[in-house]
Amino acid sequence: MILDDDEPLGPELREAARAYHEPGPVPREDLWTRIQMRRESERRAVAPGRRSIGRPVRVLAWSAGIAAVLAIGVGIGRMSNRGPAVRGVTAPVASALAPAAPAGGSPREDAAYRLAAAEHLGQAEAFLTLFRASVREGRQEALASATARQLLATNRLLLDSPAGSDTRLRFLLQDLELVLAQIAQLAPERRGEDLKLITDGMEQDGMLVRLRAAVPAGTGMTFRQGAL
Amino acid sequence: MNRRTVASRRGRNPFDPFRVREPTPDRTLRLPPRSPVDDRLLIARVQAGDASAERALYDAHVDRVYRLVYRIAGDPDQAQDYTQETFIRAFSGLADFRGEAALATWICSIAVSVALNGLRRGKRLRAREVALDEAATAAAAVRVAEPDLRDRLARAIDDLPEGYRVVFLMHDVEGYTHEEIGRTLGVQPGTSKAQLSRARAKLRRTLADFARG
Repeated sequence: MILDDDEPLGPELREAARAYHEPGPVPREDLWTRIQMRRESERRAVAPGRRSIGRPVRVLAWSAGIAAVLAIGVGIGRMSNRGPAVRGVTAPVASALAPAAPAGGSPREDAAYRLAAAEHLGQAEAFLTLFRASVREGRQEALASATARQLLATNRLLLDSPAGSDTRLRFLLQDLELVLAQIAQLAPERRGEDLKLITDGMEQDGMLVRLRAAVPAGTGMTFRQGAL
Repeated sequence: MNRRTVASRRGRNPFDPFRVREPTPDRTLRLPPRSPVDDRLLIARVQAGDASAERALYDAHVDRVYRLVYRIAGDPDQAQDYTQETFIRAFSGLADFRGEAALATWICSIAVSVALNGLRRGKRLRAREVALDEAATAAAAVRVAEPDLRDRLARAIDDLPEGYRVVFLMHDVEGYTHEEIGRTLGVQPGTSKAQLSRARAKLRRTLADFARG
């Protein structure tokens, strides 16, 4: 049926269209609190000489983005490097960080994967440490969910990478995924209970201890400083 | 089909080209008629650090921003994230606001940009999960009874190209004018009209069997 282009939809369709993604009441006060906290966090981050959780979390957000790019690069490299190794091409930085090549990919791929994984685990460890401190002090870190989502994305890329054949690392990444997903999905109205459940779960799993054990000393921070 | 049947079906057929045109819906959410002077005063107060002015600016615009990003995202958590991000950017970018458009238009343009960018990022992340879910979804779809109009329309709106969808939601659902949409999205009103026409045409085509039913 051909209709005039300017013809509005009929009443039945209009009614149905109004039900599309129909917003509920606006959580004005919650939103205002979140906005104020985030702005305060940013102000503190800018103010010199003051200790603040805002700056590390911001840096983490940037670092998570960089790690995501790294992990994507690993994936692309893995996909595009099916043929024999190119003569004369080596990966000095990556190989220096790879203590032992796991079975599966070439040493170059494994080293790149390990570098990306070490960077990611270092960021996750720093984030969860800050997060736990924040919860203990009763602070509501507005950026926690957003940062957790970014780290979760990198985590999933690493889990999906064919270069990741190390079983212990895989288990750690799977447990980490669970914790990050919980933080990413924190509901504002149930934050108190959920935060306690998350931090209790982290303690029981020994998540921070495992992360610290998995990250080669100094690897993550050295790389991050260079990158930033 | 006799004349009586046609007349009785015409009353409930949303695609009937001969039906009486009704007024455009719900104009209550249009951009508020604030004067440039009001905006300038409010902005000056916010920039001077007046907390009550910040709250006033937020109160004046939060409903519209939240509704708009909710319509685009369809998820309360995302809508809250996008609303928060919109105001953070608006407060920090007020110095760059040159007053060429109304403050409300400027804030809405930030909101649309934040929501669309957020959705694009989300789509990229979800893309790999879709393949895994596809088999289960396809199997479930066979079992589901013929969905009602709302579900059909919702899926059809989801399938619209991004530009059409935003214009359709802003105009036909939220009641913005083409001039307001044009200023918000940075396009000519004529472009907004054309996109709306195409969106409606696509929806009509998608729901054509409903029209015949």
